[in-house]
Amino acid sequence: MKKLILNSALLLSLVTSLAAKDLTLLNASYDPTRELYQDINAAFAKDWQQKNGQKIKIKQSHGGSGKQARAVIDGLEADVVTLALAYDVDALHTRGKLIPADWQKRLPHNSSPYTSTINFLVRKGNPKGIKDWDDLIKPGVSVITPNPKTSGGARWNYLAAYGYAWKKYGTEEKAREFVAKLFKNVPILDSGARGSTTTFLQREIGDVLISWENEALLALKEIGKDKVEVVIPSISILAEPPVTLVEKVAKKRGTLAVAKAYLDFLYTEEAQLLAAKNYYRPRSETALKQYAQYFPKVELFTIDEVFGGWNKAQKTHFDDGGLFDAIYLKK
Amino acid sequence: MRLKNMVVVAALLGLHLPTPPLGAEDQAELNRTLLRKIEELQQQVRILQRQDELAKESSAEKVKTAANVSIGAGGFNVQSGDSNFVLKVRGYAQADARFYFDDISPRNDTFLLRRVRPIFEGTVFNKYDYRIMLDFPSSVTTSAGNNGFVQDAYLNARFFPAFQIQVGKFKEPVGLERLQSGGNLLFVERSYPTQLVPNRDVGIQIHGIFLDDVIAYQAGVFNGISDGGSTDFDANDDEKDLAGRIFAHPFKKTSISGLKGLGLGLSGTVGNHEGTLRGYTSPGQQNIFSYLPSVSADGDYWRLSPQFYYYWGPLGIFGEYVFSNAELRRTGSINTIQAQHEGWQLAASYFLTGEDNSFKAVNPKKPFNIGDGGWGAWEISGRVSQINFDSSVFPNFANPATSARRATSWALGLNWHLNRNVKMNLNYENTDFDGGSGSPLLNTGEQILFSRVQFSF
Repeated sequence: MKKLILNSALLLSLVTSLAAKDLTLLNASYDPTRELYQDINAAFAKDWQQKNGQKIKIKQSHGGSGKQARAVIDGLEADVVTLALAYDVDALHTRGKLIPADWQKRLPHNSSPYTSTINFLVRKGNPKGIKDWDDLIKPGVSVITPNPKTSGGARWNYLAAYGYAWKKYGTEEKAREFVAKLFKNVPILDSGARGSTTTFLQREIGDVLISWENEALLALKEIGKDKVEVVIPSISILAEPPVTLVEKVAKKRGTLAVAKAYLDFLYTEEAQLLAAKNYYRPRSETALKQYAQYFPKVELFTIDEVFGGWNKAQKTHFDDGGLFDAIYLKK
Repeated sequence: MRLKNMVVVAALLGLHLPTPPLGAEDQAELNRTLLRKIEELQQQVRILQRQDELAKESSAEKVKTAANVSIGAGGFNVQSGDSNFVLKVRGYAQADARFYFDDISPRNDTFLLRRVRPIFEGTVFNKYDYRIMLDFPSSVTTSAGNNGFVQDAYLNARFFPAFQIQVGKFKEPVGLERLQSGGNLLFVERSYPTQLVPNRDVGIQIHGIFLDDVIAYQAGVFNGISDGGSTDFDANDDEKDLAGRIFAHPFKKTSISGLKGLGLGLSGTVGNHEGTLRGYTSPGQQNIFSYLPSVSADGDYWRLSPQFYYYWGPLGIFGEYVFSNAELRRTGSINTIQAQHEGWQLAASYFLTGEDNSFKAVNPKKPFNIGDGGWGAWEISGRVSQINFDSSVFPNFANPATSARRATSWALGLNWHLNRNVKMNLNYENTDFDGGSGSPLLNTGEQILFSRVQFSF
């Protein structure tokens, strides 16, 4: 019987090693990072092969940040997630038990290898004269932003507007009134940031798109300065899109080492330059200097400073029955 | 201004009202207003179009995630929108008639329900397949193990096509005809080699396919059961059997169309058994060989079975040989013998209506439908088979007067597949026996006419 068990184990290991020949990694990310990760994946695959002599294929999955987190919790076998906000990554711990509670401490800069902020994209010549957040609540201004219930980017947009009003007018009541007026000017709520960009640029709806800085700069490059302009508001929010390893999945798929290496790679000078090239604000000073023309200095506030962190912001503003529901349902 | 508004409204409505002539400045203002109104309308139209577009995207997304319920020839299926969860309710029933051509047979001519099998199978979390198949035939009664009722109950984890793990009760991977579904049999009853291999057993098996089914393998550890047996638990000993099979379609990926349907395999079991042994039966399910009550298995038990099939267009041929070795002991004796029985069969069939023959179910080209010109699929078949019992078992382990030394059978059949769900079989089978001089049946042989009506869904 011992011999039989030994033979069975040998057969098992042979079959497993044959089956595990192809090394693949899945990165579940949010909507606007398609171009960024195309570049980073190619660079990492090359780097990994040079260092380890092993070919790797990195697959991408993109969608609204919250939707992606739910998909991973429901069984999408992503080895790593690179989402729009920490609250969505937290859900992988609180609802999915897929990662530890202190996931944000595992990598530098709160596990956000790059940052971004929120600004405006307007039509050429800025026909509605939009210069700052106050201009978005004027009657007759049509504002395009996605649905904060489904889109991470939209939550950053909402919080940027709210934070601006709170800082400028000094009370929460005024801030609420401000965002309520702003959403009265929103004719369509797309489910994700990329959808809103389509609404504004391809379908030619709206006077202003509240957008990730990287998405606005990308649009400027692709659509052209003769059609759109970027407007930098006086105050905006520091958006820190986080990344993390989905340990349970990576362990199961036998990709733990390569998935960790992939995330570490995001902090290398090579990846930081690629982030800057794709209009994400890099953490590296060198990369930031090299691409300084993309990233003008803006007064930025953090989510902790104004809202007391993501959990509190989510509960107050975006949970069912929260402030956004009250504002939007009233509309 | 009021006048201007009236003009704008009239212009938008396409009316031609008698209005006083406008100055150049008023005209320019009017043009600007008209332009703005047109732009506003354009925006409204675009918003409505985009809302419609988003609503359609949302509906398409909902369709993707909505459960899909269907019913058809393959049974009742429920599938989650992402295909990760599937439930299929299927089954089949066989109503047989057996007519013996003499009055010597101890069995009566009878109608019977040979198999009545509801099947529940499906998938959970995309990779985990399950199957529960029950059976309620005429002859089975309740038992402590529910052995007769629970035919299959297993979970199969499909990690990769080449590496899957199956756990539970299912067919041991040995006999070729045994591995064919009871609903797809060429003849009403399986032949002798099937009686020399295990049926269903409880255990764990790894299995898989390579190169798009050019090579398939199975290897597992099971409780271990006697020839033809099926069980839910091991009541006899602590030992376990190892069963394995490798089956190849060596020409499947080649351009030689005439050999693509050739399959060759080798299977076997090895283990150590204790406990009682089963007898063997004729095609008419009459007892033709029994061990004496004092005999039991006690030692090595192994089997080997080379096997093949060949399908080319309407032609199908399959054959298998089984060698079964059992170490036996009589109660009170310290000596054992190695009983070595062997059996083989060669069967062929041909679809007169031109369907492609297969080891699996065949779908008629034109289902039977009066007035519509469809006659279903008609198949003729023939089989020769033999079982040889080891002479060393006589007379101390089996009674030579009541047990055959050899049985040789030939059979002819006609199968009518009315459609994918209904099939009729008509078989005639003749069996001659060597040995068993004290048994009227074994002396005269067996001639039997079988018929079957099978409904599956």
